[in-house]
Amino acid sequence: MELIKLALRNLSRQKKRTFLLAGAIAFGIMIVTVINGFVGAFVSNISENFANLAAGHIFIQGVEKSPSGKEYDIIRDDSTLLAAAKEVGIPAKYITKRSSFQGTIIFAGKTAQLTIDGVDFAGETFLPERLVFTSGGMQGMSDKLGLIISEPIAKRLDVRVGDRVLVEMKTYTGQNNVGDFAIAGITVDPGILGSMAGYANKAYVNQLLNLEPDAYQSLGFYLPSLTGMDKYGSALYESLRKKAQVFDRGIADEQQNYVRAMMNQAKKETWSGIKYRVFTLNDMLQQVQQIVNVLNSASLVILIVLFLIIMVGITNTFRIIMYERIREIGTMRSIGMQREEVRGLFLFEATFLAVGGVLAGIIFALIIMGGVSLADFGLNSPLFIILKNGHMTFRVPFLRTVFDVVIVAALTLAAAFFPARNAARLDPAVALRTVK
Amino acid sequence: MKRIRRSLRLAIIVALALGAAAAACAATTDYEALLRAIDELQTFDKQDYSAVYDIVSEKPGENPSTTQVKIFRRDDHDQIVILIQEPERQKGQGYLKIDDNVWFYDPESGNYSHSTMKENINGSEAKNSDFKKYTFADDFDIVKTEEGRLGVFDTWILTLQAKNDEVSYQKIRLTVRKDKPVPLKEEDFSVSDRPMRTIYYLPTYVQVGDKLIPAKLKMVDEVDKGTQSVLTISNVYVGKLDDKYFKKTFLESAQ
Repeated sequence: MELIKLALRNLSRQKKRTFLLAGAIAFGIMIVTVINGFVGAFVSNISENFANLAAGHIFIQGVEKSPSGKEYDIIRDDSTLLAAAKEVGIPAKYITKRSSFQGTIIFAGKTAQLTIDGVDFAGETFLPERLVFTSGGMQGMSDKLGLIISEPIAKRLDVRVGDRVLVEMKTYTGQNNVGDFAIAGITVDPGILGSMAGYANKAYVNQLLNLEPDAYQSLGFYLPSLTGMDKYGSALYESLRKKAQVFDRGIADEQQNYVRAMMNQAKKETWSGIKYRVFTLNDMLQQVQQIVNVLNSASLVILIVLFLIIMVGITNTFRIIMYERIREIGTMRSIGMQREEVRGLFLFEATFLAVGGVLAGIIFALIIMGGVSLADFGLNSPLFIILKNGHMTFRVPFLRTVFDVVIVAALTLAAAFFPARNAARLDPAVALRTVK
Repeated sequence: MKRIRRSLRLAIIVALALGAAAAACAATTDYEALLRAIDELQTFDKQDYSAVYDIVSEKPGENPSTTQVKIFRRDDHDQIVILIQEPERQKGQGYLKIDDNVWFYDPESGNYSHSTMKENINGSEAKNSDFKKYTFADDFDIVKTEEGRLGVFDTWILTLQAKNDEVSYQKIRLTVRKDKPVPLKEEDFSVSDRPMRTIYYLPTYVQVGDKLIPAKLKMVDEVDKGTQSVLTISNVYVGKLDDKYFKKTFLESAQ
């Protein structure tokens, strides 16, 4: 206890030095915590935004193979799929059944590429809630030919609500087709992928794709949160493979993700009837996870490099401290303080520096993250995909923070250890004789 | 008066005779055979075919762009290689069709990816399928026949409906010269029965043996008005081509 008091008193005696040393530690931990917080929210924000764009967290797609070997995306009868989902107990907030195509939208000699999703607006109530219109709105979708596009597309084509446009596209078997659409609404730019997406009535999209009215191409299960996505995805796959033909899941190598691997399977295999692909948003976003791994590794490297630099500073400072206090150490040793206690005194000082620095760093990081998350980047920000409702969010993983704190404490103690050991080894008589 | 009446009677008889002859002629025209003859005229079953196609594409508000492709065809094996030679940016890209598989090769990545014969060449109006042998008779049913005149030519107008959903267009209206089985105009329709593209086979031909190849084609986009491509064919070769042209290694080394 006396040692702790002494350590605290020593630290308070040299306030400026203590402040600088703890500040260096705080700066390092602050940088790393902010990076960790950003990375922590990065995945969930991207996943949530993609879930909104892709209309679900778990997906089933049907693939039919023509006699000439061509693949057609189609789900004709979903009773087996829904039975499997029910058996697994997927807690779906919404079930989406969509058809879609990529096409060229043409208006007065101007063209733009976009993907048009056929949506059953009566069933998919969450989509109208999510769309932010700059003009027009959902009321225009009562027109069979209604089309919702984003602002960048509208600007590029110079179209307004009510204008009629043509869309050149291909049917589900790849035949050329043309559709008439009426612009029903223009939404704010939802960022990279969303800006190239449009929404139309599924019945009309099916007609253009040459699909039966009840058929569609992608079944999506929209979960209440990202939690359990993989568990339910795997369970659905296991359940469905007992009932229908399903592409093998989880055979991807390093070069390809599961979804791409299943697509490659479809090219190699032959089958009759419809074969299904079951995948989750995480399967689609494996590359994002790789980015996260890289960012995590980078933050760990930054932490270690920063603290190696800080360690040099701490070691030098403690050497100076030892030199400054050499007569004091001699006095303490001569009145009975043991070597271990001298060493302990130095190590306590280092520990308090580390604890103070870490606490200050985390507090500063929280202040910065709080401040940044208050800033509204808007729904049309190019950063949309990593934002949550236009705000940058942070999620600091607890275990990762504990890990960082342990590393910082260990490195600080290691930095102080050798000066502390040297101080402990000082001969009291020699120390007392030393003239500074 | 008698003379007039006789002349009138003669005129009626001649008109009836001509009408009957035309009707008989129309009745006896084997349109299936005509369609097959069109296919035959540009199919090289016993020999290979290669040619250079210069494609000049125009789009509203843009400068015309030129694409040059070299085609290698082996019709009896249903093989085709399309090698892009211009523009410089796309040089070395190519398509290879073996059986029902169509591969696209990108020399920049060195990778092949699956493609289709319905793909357009470098954003032009020309599709891969426009370079393959004609298969009108196999892919389409004749649903309507008419007579017409286009320029100086008397023509048959055949309305064709796709037999399968793997061809690019569900419906085609083909205007064919009456004097020889050569198409003059091809109107392609969407599944929703909207005109999508018109091909004008300009009446200049390259004759190779008994085959007749239109030397110039104009493809007009009927949806995106003002967009069109003109294809000019040159360096036509019909004969035996080395097997190497129909292998992936050719595309890989062709740049």
